[in-house]
Amino acid sequence: MSLKKFSALFSDLDSINSTNNKIEVLKSYFVSNEPIDNSWAIYLLTGKINKRFISGRYLKNLFSQIYEYPQWLIDTCYLKVGDSAEVITLLLKNKTTSKNKKLSNISLDELLSKIIPELSKLNEEEKNLEIRNIWETLPEDNHLIFNKILTGTFRVGVSIGLITKSISKLNNIDEEIISHRLMGNFKPSIDSYQFLINKNINLEELNSKPFPFLLANTFEDKIFKYSINNFQFEWKYDGIRIQLIKRLGNVSLWTRGQELVNESFPELVEKMSSIKDDFVLDGELLVWNFKEQIALDFTYLQKRINRKSPSRSIQIKYPIIFIAYDLLEINGKDIREIKLENRRIELEKYFSKWQNKTENNITDIFRICDLIYPKDWSEALTFKERSRENNTEGLVIKNKRSPYASGRKKGIWWKYKVDPMQLDAVLIYARGGSGRRAGLYTDYSFALWKEKELIKFASAYSGLTNLEIKELDQWIRKNTIEKFGPVRSLKPEMVFEISFEKIQISKRHKSGIAVRFPRITKWRKDKKINDADSLENAFELMKKIS
Amino acid sequence: MRTEKEDLIRYKDGNLYCELADIWIDPSKPVKRALITHAHFDHFTFGCEEYLSTNETAILLKERVGDNIKIKTFDYGEKFKINGINISFHPSGHILGSSQIRFIFAEEKWLISGDFKLQKDNTCKQYEIVKTDYLISECTFGLPIFKWDETNKIANDISKWITNSPEKASLLFCYSLGKAQRLLNEINQTNFKGNIYSHGSIHRINNCYKELGIDIKDTIKIENKNNIEELKGSLILLPPSLSKGSYLKNFKNIQTAFASGWMSIRALKKRSGYDKGFVISDHADWDGILEVVKKSEAKNVFFHHGDSEALSKYLVEKESINVLFLNK
Repeated sequence: MSLKKFSALFSDLDSINSTNNKIEVLKSYFVSNEPIDNSWAIYLLTGKINKRFISGRYLKNLFSQIYEYPQWLIDTCYLKVGDSAEVITLLLKNKTTSKNKKLSNISLDELLSKIIPELSKLNEEEKNLEIRNIWETLPEDNHLIFNKILTGTFRVGVSIGLITKSISKLNNIDEEIISHRLMGNFKPSIDSYQFLINKNINLEELNSKPFPFLLANTFEDKIFKYSINNFQFEWKYDGIRIQLIKRLGNVSLWTRGQELVNESFPELVEKMSSIKDDFVLDGELLVWNFKEQIALDFTYLQKRINRKSPSRSIQIKYPIIFIAYDLLEINGKDIREIKLENRRIELEKYFSKWQNKTENNITDIFRICDLIYPKDWSEALTFKERSRENNTEGLVIKNKRSPYASGRKKGIWWKYKVDPMQLDAVLIYARGGSGRRAGLYTDYSFALWKEKELIKFASAYSGLTNLEIKELDQWIRKNTIEKFGPVRSLKPEMVFEISFEKIQISKRHKSGIAVRFPRITKWRKDKKINDADSLENAFELMKKIS
Repeated sequence: MRTEKEDLIRYKDGNLYCELADIWIDPSKPVKRALITHAHFDHFTFGCEEYLSTNETAILLKERVGDNIKIKTFDYGEKFKINGINISFHPSGHILGSSQIRFIFAEEKWLISGDFKLQKDNTCKQYEIVKTDYLISECTFGLPIFKWDETNKIANDISKWITNSPEKASLLFCYSLGKAQRLLNEINQTNFKGNIYSHGSIHRINNCYKELGIDIKDTIKIENKNNIEELKGSLILLPPSLSKGSYLKNFKNIQTAFASGWMSIRALKKRSGYDKGFVISDHADWDGILEVVKKSEAKNVFFHHGDSEALSKYLVEKESINVLFLNK
């Protein structure tokens, strides 16, 4: 019944840009399918299935063997398409000879709970035969989904939030409840879908709901005219914003994107559960360097976010900390209307109580943020400029008399980010992109001068507009010196302003320096390559910072 | 090794040129004498002293650029001589009037494929297999990932796309000359019975096609003042140049699509910004190119227009066909 329908759903979602229409399409899909297939669909769409049963390379080899296609030809096609599963799907078109499409009515459940898991139990020869057999007997429209699931690359342009919204709208159940139910061990089954859409909501579910987040505005000059005493200053950490809720003993960690992330951070849930009071805290989750007492880069946090039930060794390798900066509710009492300076007093009071009265040591995973006290605005600027020293992005400035409103309200919180470091560099290599950028040269390498030589110092792929990417792509094709596989070396001619967050000595790189988060901030068409910066400039910049 | 002098046709300033006849093929700059394969703007430039084309191409060119150009016209298959070289136009199936051009000189045959497709298209003459010794072929879609579906399948998909969103105006972007008329002819045979509007640039070409006896559905010329109610559930054909910019602000509640061979690649479709892509092309797909190369019986093949590296290697390795580069 339903792999067919799911394939249609996938192509519909792929050809709709409006969120509302996507929700409508999802709703009508859920209405017209069996609970078991719905639960599988949710499982797939929310990215809970990400196992790679077979590598893209394996699939390409297998296709090449069966249908006698030269490997290099498939590789050339890949450069245009950027996805192995899609390349094979396109090549399979009109290739299969079997008239008997016996898999045309296969259900999603059968495919995912039987056929695919059983593939992994076969030896190589049997496996190849079976995949060929599936290709031959599955209608062409379903090849893409099958190949994508097989290679663990199934993704579609819908967020968990959107799935949550459509299930919520369809069944008239609050989004937060659906979100809560989708969390955890949502395993595809008839029961799990029935539970998801059950209108009886239990107390625990009700109690996990977060408050709407208060968001910071970009800094405005006009606040300089107010006395500095009106404001509370904090470091702006580069982590994930979290509302940490403990109600009736149960802890929930909510991100700003309405995602419940308890499973990724079990050690935090456990520690916070041991606190006696109930509360709602707003704060930042970070991976922390305990030796130097400093936040680690966001890249470390990424090692934790997407990993559910992290092992003990991962927890030790990437230790997390929750830094609270606001208290929104305490023992069932909503205090968001109280002004910030008083909420801060409450936060400090409770934190010191918890510190002393909780049996376990909680401060190895939970702290409240330090405040900064600049004497005047010029000192505030100095603090901002120094924020890199402790791996923060700048300052957050908060109006001391403000309530905790919802959304991006003006005049309450401001973020004041430190300017990035910049160098002008020469484009010397380009490489083809993959996925959405397939077929275009979108990954670039940049160089700085060392005497008369250009030395590569950074690679970047973000920062240009689509139009600029196209223009540059054409320039690259016309100004290639040499091709090495997907990489082209280019005539040194184009200068770009490269911004980055951190610069440090590196023995691994020929240039002797490494930069973090390099990105293109301007195409300096006004500059000639002799105007580009030198490595010497880069070292001076490093000295200035440290 | 062939020497430069022996080549009947070669590249000169980036264009195809026959030195013996002193004639250019689809030149991109003004020259004395130009053979025009078809009336798309990238195969034509203003300011040549004399143009030579098929009758249909001449009419379309005049429609697009005005009457004051000097064109000599020929029927398909009609042979004419320039400096002792026999030249003739043959149908290439790309759009109305489109042609391959064959040169015969001293027993040696050269064929320039022009833009071509093998698929059925009711709005132009079917591609004619022409035998040759030397073939200069386009290869816009020269990779095996490009395989076209039957045109009527795509037309039915378009019809469904429109009727599934009766609340919306369905904006279908396509090339004004050729693709638009082919779609109009095909959509006429589907279940879609609603109104079809077309942009002025498309509307003009439609009239031209009709005058030349091609069967296409009538369309209403789109005016900015057309009210929104009226456009609900309708199909609106627009040239791709209008997809970016302020033109779309004239509409409310729309869905957009692009009809092009490139839409078969998801990444390109995504990047294009259209909601939907319909894979339909007036160029040959991979199998089409291979078929033409084989059936032409050419012993030497040259490719232009497109990435020919993989296609050339494939022909050399798998089909033992001699693929060369044109002399400059």
